[in-house]
Amino acid sequence: MDSNNIDFKDLWKKQTVNQPNIEDLLARLKQFKKTALRSLWITNILLFATCTFIIFIWYFYQPDLISTKIGIVLTVLAMLIYLIVYNRLLSTYKNIDATQTNQQYLQKLILIKRKQQFLQSRILSLYFILLSIGISLYMYEYASKMSSFFSVLTYVMLFLWIGFAWFYLRPKEIKKQETKLNSLIEKFEEVNKQLEI
Amino acid sequence: MKFEDIYKAYWDRIFRLCMGFVNDYDIAQDLAQETFIIVWQKLETFRNESGIGTWIFRIASNNCLRQIERQKRFPKSALPLHLTEEKQYSLEPQIQFLYKCIAELPETDRIIISLELEDVKQSEIAKIVGLSETNTRVKIHRIKEKLTEKFKENGQQ
Repeated sequence: MDSNNIDFKDLWKKQTVNQPNIEDLLARLKQFKKTALRSLWITNILLFATCTFIIFIWYFYQPDLISTKIGIVLTVLAMLIYLIVYNRLLSTYKNIDATQTNQQYLQKLILIKRKQQFLQSRILSLYFILLSIGISLYMYEYASKMSSFFSVLTYVMLFLWIGFAWFYLRPKEIKKQETKLNSLIEKFEEVNKQLEI
Repeated sequence: MKFEDIYKAYWDRIFRLCMGFVNDYDIAQDLAQETFIIVWQKLETFRNESGIGTWIFRIASNNCLRQIERQKRFPKSALPLHLTEEKQYSLEPQIQFLYKCIAELPETDRIIISLELEDVKQSEIAKIVGLSETNTRVKIHRIKEKLTEKFKENGQQ
């Protein structure tokens, strides 16, 4: 068959194959579903717990000022937006139709990763902005009840923290995500190019 | 078609395809299992518009392509365990060499040649990968040449 008498097909089929029991596979299937669910739960529970905590404070302490309420709403909104976008992105990625041709599949992967790249940095910035405004407004009512020294101190600390998060943590996180995504997109594009003759 | 029958009929072929892609027994075993998990989930949606073989091979090869991402997250060097386990599956050096050569090809070439060696028709390969039949033929020809060359260099004939 082959010009040089190497029977690749024959060699190929001599590979040792070890077919696991179908029960093993089904057991793994269950395990697989469980882990997927668990990771989804962890992110969601953490964020929901925070939101519940804030709402609890609203009911328990009955804030007088509208600024406190707006602050709470903004904070919860920030978390919810982050949560929803993150989860939706994850599910579109997981549900790419695996029965397309390799070429279509690769293009879909690239498209989704690009979208993710676009969203991640913007959503993260939005998250920080909403959270910062929310917390600043929220704290006003309580700070105004303190002595002026402590209320100034509280806000100085808060703004220092926000500044640190905005100018250090946020760019660092964005950069980390971008590097990871960029190298992945590059790799997928390279593979996709292999299909051009 | 029942899932059990598909599993029995295709496991070996899918496993070899994955093995050609990664040349690592454990990872290939995982990839093959994942493929069947997807097949199990999607079997309801299978309509006979393409043969079941084409359908399954598409799932398997796409799953292999997705493996690229995991590879980036967990580079092989982070898993030293495999080194000791590899010997367990030692085969004729020629077979090992063939799989090694294939796993070193560009990703899509690995899929194409594996399918060819699996006796999948070239028109089917074209449908799985998403190339025209002519291009598929050209590709297969070139890949075989490359492999033959590598075997020659290595004195494996």
